[in-house]
Amino acid sequence: MRPGSGAGSEDAAEVEPDAQVVQDCLRGDGSAWEELVRKHTRRVYNLCWRFTSSRHEAEDLTQEVFLRIYKTLGSYRSAHGGFATWMTSVTRNLLIDHYRRTRRDRLTDSLDDAMPKLEEKHSPVRRPDQATLAAELSSQVQRALQKLSPDLREAVILRDLQGLEYAEIQDVLGVPEGTVKSRINRGRIELARVLEQMGVRPE
Amino acid sequence: MTWNCEQIETRLSDYADRLLPADERKYFEAHAASCARCRALVGQVTSLLSRMHGLEPEAVPTGLERRILEQMLGAGKKQAGWVAWLGWLQPVMTQRVAYGAVTVLVTAAVLSQAFGVDVRQVELRDLHPANLYRATTRKANLMYARGAKFVTDLRVVYEIQSRLRPEPEQPAPTEQKAAPGQTQGPEKQEPRQQNRADESFGNYSLLAFTAGLAPERSIR
Repeated sequence: MRPGSGAGSEDAAEVEPDAQVVQDCLRGDGSAWEELVRKHTRRVYNLCWRFTSSRHEAEDLTQEVFLRIYKTLGSYRSAHGGFATWMTSVTRNLLIDHYRRTRRDRLTDSLDDAMPKLEEKHSPVRRPDQATLAAELSSQVQRALQKLSPDLREAVILRDLQGLEYAEIQDVLGVPEGTVKSRINRGRIELARVLEQMGVRPE
Repeated sequence: MTWNCEQIETRLSDYADRLLPADERKYFEAHAASCARCRALVGQVTSLLSRMHGLEPEAVPTGLERRILEQMLGAGKKQAGWVAWLGWLQPVMTQRVAYGAVTVLVTAAVLSQAFGVDVRQVELRDLHPANLYRATTRKANLMYARGAKFVTDLRVVYEIQSRLRPEPEQPAPTEQKAAPGQTQGPEKQEPRQQNRADESFGNYSLLAFTAGLAPERSIR
């Protein structure tokens, strides 16, 4: 992994794809902000949705992320690494804040999880086309992710659903590379086991 | 060299990401071939990863980008100037609101007249609470003085009337009593009229005195 991640961070340092847009944003250019939002909303929203498993909360959090970025963009230049990584860090910090804030509510919600499982087991039999299978897998992964601890969950989401390099995840989480690798490894194994318990067979 | 189950679990991600050197890969696969439990686990994880990497990210909900931009650039417009600042008023600008505004203005004009604030020459210091209070007190005192003068005038008129009227009423019965005789009528009436004129003159001067003083005293 070392050669790959090293090349990734060098690229980010030398050719930052968002450098010009960020400069324009700092100058107060409205269309630059628009470009930034159009380019990154999907990524931020998906991270929030995968982590919280609630579209409503994900929308609110995405808005919160961009507002935070709007207010703190000036501090980005001092941080090293790519803009996308910085943005992911901001998102991740808000997600962790949100997770701590809503911990008590989730204890009462966990009972509700049992209901949709029964319904979705039948859906592939009725409509086994490609799009439906993908949607079903997506929701199965989504439910299984919620069983993981937040540490393992965020590591797996960043690596396998957001496609970040190990070095980037290291920057986002602020933990050593060994810890990142170990969390991703344990997260993947645990996720596979949870899916097996849910009755999802490997294909 | 052979690996145990624990080593397989630890290096599973490296294997799946194809990051194991060739020799370690050989040890890994050798153990997996001999251990059914590890083989199943490796199969599950690699299958999960290949399917997860194929998942398309969710589409952005409709309107989310617009809301984000409104939220951000809405905050930016505040710095842009008065035009942006007044922009929020546009939906409020209806006919009904305009009528309401006119009514409020008229009321304010009437009230300012009542409180002695001249709208044509209004100055900032006129709006000072102390000045407003002073003007209002002055107006109230003037109004009270006018009212007091009016009441006093009425009283004067009433007193004059009451002094003048009872006289013909009182002698009326005596005249009626005397009427049947017709003997003392003209001779006795003359001195009585003389007396009444003297009396009236005295009353007038007294009343004129009080009427002249009373309003002045009230105004001051």
